[in-house]
Amino acid sequence: MSHPLLECRHLYKSYQGKPVVADLSLNLAAGEILAVVGPSGCGKTTTLRLIAGFERPERGEIHMGGKPLVAAGVFIPPEKRGIGMVFQDYALFPHLNVYENIAFGLKGWSKTQVQRRVNELLALVGLQGMARRFPHQLSGGEQQRVALARALAPQPQVLLLDEPFSNLDADLRLKLREEVRTVLKGLNLAALFVTHDQEEALFMGDRLAVMNQGRVHQIGTPEAIFARPVNRFVAEFMGNAYFLPGHVTRQGIQTELGLVRQEVPYPPGSRVDVAVRADDIGLDLQGPPNGKVVGRVFKGLLNLYQVELRSGCVLPSLQPHDYFLPPGQPVHVYLSAQHELACFATESDTSEVVVALPVMQEET
Amino acid sequence: MIRLFQRLLFTLMTITLAGCSALSTAQSTPNAGHVVVYSGRSENLVAPVFAQFTQATGVRVEVRYGSTAELAATLLEEGRSSPADIFYAQDPGGLGAVTAAGLLAPLPDDLLSPVAPHFRAEDGTWVGVSGRARVVVYNTKRLRPEDLPQDLRGFTDPRWRGKIGWAPTNASFQAMVTAMRKMWGEDETRAWLLGIQANQPVVFEGNAPIVAAVGNGEIEIGFVNHYYLYRFLREQGETFPARNYFMNNGGPDSLILVSGIGRLTSGKNPENALKLIRFLLSPVAQQYFASQTYEYPVIAGVNPERGLPPLDSLTSAVINLEQLADLQGTLDLLHATGILP
Amino acid sequence: MTIIAAKDLVIPLARAGGRANWLYLPALLVAAVMGLPLLYLGVRALSAGPAIWTWLGRVQTLHLLLRSLGLALAVTFSAIMLAVPLAWLVTRSDLMGRRFWAMVLPLPLVIPSYVGAYLYVSLLSPHGVIPSLLSTWLPLAKWPSIYGFGGAWWVLTLMTYPYVYMSVRAVLSMSDRALEEAARSLGYSPWAVFWRVTLPLLRPALTSGGLLVALYVLRDFGAVSMLRYTTFTRAIYLHYQSSFDRSTAALLALVLVLVTVILLAVQQRLDRLKVAVVAHTPRPSPPVRLGKWQVPALVLVLIVVGLALAVPVGGLIYWLVRGVRVGETLGSLAVPLLNSALAAGLAALVTVVAALPLAILAVRQAGRLSRALVGWSHLGFAVPGVVIALALVFFGANFTPALYQTLTLLIVAYMILFLPQALGVLQAALRLVRRNLEEAAASLGHSPGQVFWRVTLPLITPGLTSAAGLVCLTTLKELPATLLLAPPGFPTLATRVWGAVSEAFFARAAWPALILVGLSSLSMLWFHHNPYTRNEPTS
Repeated sequence: MSHPLLECRHLYKSYQGKPVVADLSLNLAAGEILAVVGPSGCGKTTTLRLIAGFERPERGEIHMGGKPLVAAGVFIPPEKRGIGMVFQDYALFPHLNVYENIAFGLKGWSKTQVQRRVNELLALVGLQGMARRFPHQLSGGEQQRVALARALAPQPQVLLLDEPFSNLDADLRLKLREEVRTVLKGLNLAALFVTHDQEEALFMGDRLAVMNQGRVHQIGTPEAIFARPVNRFVAEFMGNAYFLPGHVTRQGIQTELGLVRQEVPYPPGSRVDVAVRADDIGLDLQGPPNGKVVGRVFKGLLNLYQVELRSGCVLPSLQPHDYFLPPGQPVHVYLSAQHELACFATESDTSEVVVALPVMQEET
Repeated sequence: MIRLFQRLLFTLMTITLAGCSALSTAQSTPNAGHVVVYSGRSENLVAPVFAQFTQATGVRVEVRYGSTAELAATLLEEGRSSPADIFYAQDPGGLGAVTAAGLLAPLPDDLLSPVAPHFRAEDGTWVGVSGRARVVVYNTKRLRPEDLPQDLRGFTDPRWRGKIGWAPTNASFQAMVTAMRKMWGEDETRAWLLGIQANQPVVFEGNAPIVAAVGNGEIEIGFVNHYYLYRFLREQGETFPARNYFMNNGGPDSLILVSGIGRLTSGKNPENALKLIRFLLSPVAQQYFASQTYEYPVIAGVNPERGLPPLDSLTSAVINLEQLADLQGTLDLLHATGILP
Repeated sequence: MTIIAAKDLVIPLARAGGRANWLYLPALLVAAVMGLPLLYLGVRALSAGPAIWTWLGRVQTLHLLLRSLGLALAVTFSAIMLAVPLAWLVTRSDLMGRRFWAMVLPLPLVIPSYVGAYLYVSLLSPHGVIPSLLSTWLPLAKWPSIYGFGGAWWVLTLMTYPYVYMSVRAVLSMSDRALEEAARSLGYSPWAVFWRVTLPLLRPALTSGGLLVALYVLRDFGAVSMLRYTTFTRAIYLHYQSSFDRSTAALLALVLVLVTVILLAVQQRLDRLKVAVVAHTPRPSPPVRLGKWQVPALVLVLIVVGLALAVPVGGLIYWLVRGVRVGETLGSLAVPLLNSALAAGLAALVTVVAALPLAILAVRQAGRLSRALVGWSHLGFAVPGVVIALALVFFGANFTPALYQTLTLLIVAYMILFLPQALGVLQAALRLVRRNLEEAAASLGHSPGQVFWRVTLPLITPGLTSAAGLVCLTTLKELPATLLLAPPGFPTLATRVWGAVSEAFFARAAWPALILVGLSSLSMLWFHHNPYTRNEPTS
């Protein structure tokens, strides 16, 4: 990997003694979109605000383009960083119209330059003809586009987006995130994108950083994170994983659904949970029944079943849309996965696992 | 920090309350009734004498304190619905306005007769209670009494430029100007006013600030009523560098003015009202005014204190206070000379 | 943060369908009471003789009016210039002792202007205490005079800046920081952000606070007379004082009402920010670091607090000590203290309750009628207190003798005098309540009354306490209405102060005046603990 454009090293920030961002390190390459994803309160917005310069970290450094933004004795104020930001609620200036909002950051530009740039951006975000409107006269989607255009106008080196789609309805959200990704990729702009929505993160990010309780648990491509979560939290949050208990043997993992043959990073005899997803679990009526149907959600293309094993463990199973089983129906449940499954020691609680495991930095 | 401050304030308040809880509410015998007074004279000056009255007669005194002008306006607005029995005014002007509206009842002769005729209304609707002399207060560090002219006209001399303080809005001052008009005539009064005006006098809102300004040397002399000085001597000690100068020439510059009292026709406690007026004119109350507020008693047999020249030694302006009722002419003159806006 | 279109703040009348229309009943009732002084002025002015009209037409009259207006505009301008940086410092910066200063800065409001001016004169007049002391080290040929326009200007500025300070502080502590951060990320320094973003958003607070200052200056008598600057109001007082001429005074007061109408129109024109900015989940943002500006900022605050509060309070303590040392007795103040607290508390309660329907209508059903009602309620604010008091004397004594000179009528007088102060604060608070919160409550099966009680009222609690505090402070020092309308034998701290100062009983004036400042500080503490301050950054 080339020299990263933006580099955060061991950032630490607390409020009233409670760490919000704890020893956070991440890199952003030129032209890359990094999606920071995690449940609300995990510290992702604070991370963004540290990078933007609205907060000062208590420890750690931030560098951009090889120059320090935050380091010992250095603190570059937000206005001198050349970092753009799109706010969760857009933060459009209510006393200025669309044109004035977009032109706001174009300080020192000549009038014709400003005019050209604003028109360019209005075209880019598809708001031609709306220049004279005021923010309160715009729909949510339009406000969001103005916010993007305003942040892009001064040509920042890095763009930060703080949950930019969270206030939009579902259809608009899908449409806009495609638009925004296209715009960012078209400009080859490096962006840090914060969201609590896994699906959005998977879609937007070239890479993902999964955060919880102020720490980055895993950074990697969407595929890598989905396939090889480093811990129970990542598996659960990113992969909708369910956990099937078992214990380690020399051959693999012995579970209620039989032996899973694979390498295991735990000694034989350890009790582990195997992370499984709905597409890893098969059902049929032919085999000996070892569970029963307890629920079904019709998803249109597919049926998502919930089955309960004899032990009481509940697992999901994806089945074709025309495959109907009544609740209470005894069924044969089996593992249909052809790929390796992630597994985690049972006794350990999530945070301990996190401490034990090094953060995996997967290079792209 | 805030907590601390809060606690401090709370403690302060508790102390205040506790310190004052020993407050005794002197109550009178209920059957003696009460009397309602509108007093243009300050509570600090007259409340003790009302308390003495209650103690002596058992009649409760309900007092509304305010400025004489505002109380007069209040009485005029209330008309016959006024709850007041008595109007006790700082100066005759306010009484005159209320008399003119026909709201004051004539007082019986036995109340009027002990007071010199020029200290009461001709129609007997009000009577003077205490007297105050118009004097010149001067700074004792800058001036000796010998430096002062014999007569107010002397202050038009350019030597007094910027050294004079006056209060043209003050009722006593206006009464003095009215007296000038009656005794000197309109033209001479106008000339005097313009002469003082040419000396660029410092304008004050009342007597007390003039005395204060003479004391700190901002001005050298001021035209005031005599008794304010004694308040300053009381609070700031005998070293306070100002004293009164009595003109004592029989002209309007040695005018004696009175505070006055009248009974309202519409009052519901006429008996008690008369009792109170009688008490205020009794030797006890008159002695109080002489020794506590440093004013002139208006009845014979009680003498002024604090080394004040006795009334009969003052060749005071013999002018009926009724003649001072022509306030409008004075106001017109003050407006015309640009002294009042 | 959410930007709410004006249309969302307003329920179209048709849609409201009786939801808030019932509020017109109490609102009109309050407006009717507010109209009493105007009715009185009309009656009195009509009974005036013809000479009065020539008086009105005089050049000097116009000159007086211009002097009044000039002073009002100058004081409004300087009060804004002083209040905005102070409010910003205590809400947004890491100024040392910020919370303490935030509480202390509104206190000058409580010092009665006749006492304040008296103290400034005795301290700063050419031969006053301070020039005498300083002349030893600083032999100035001519000490600048405190009298006239200059003195009145700065004394009134020090006494009235809290009106602007309080409305600006409320907005600053509630409005969304994301706007300012957005501007920072677009390349603006904190200073530039202040000018380009913060200040434009403060406009409604500035115009409503500025209006109160201007009207206060127009009706002030104590300070201008003490500082020898003749204004229109002083002329009104002289008509009572010298000629007992109520008709001329009433006619002149009507001129002030006319001026108020013009000022209101100007204010409504300036206050054209049609949107409300609501922080819906305020995120604690770190305070702006003052760095090398810490010391100058602290010096500014110290100078203001010093001049506006410490100098008068110090002067009072000096009077007290001087008097006590020569044996002046002070006497008990328990009764005046309790009376003051009772009257101010009741006045605050009644005024806020009375202002609420008007404020709700003005915000929720903005239209010609509600705007007219609000404007109407302001008309009496520039009229000197003695005129309002006499109006109630007239109506009280002649039409409601049972209520005359009772606490009830006194409280009504306070309400008439101080309702405009409460209106502004309440309107600002209501603008920040999002309509959909009320709609959510309605959808959960709450009647309009329940919605108001369980949702709106809790949400505007900061506004309610602020408004109540403001009314409390100004009631505590109110004089003419208290003197003329209080029940018999109802001394208050303010009447005690006045009675003593006017007869040069300085020690006896200082004691209740100090208690008055203490009581006000207490009421200030009470409404300082409001949720506005919860959004303020913790350093």
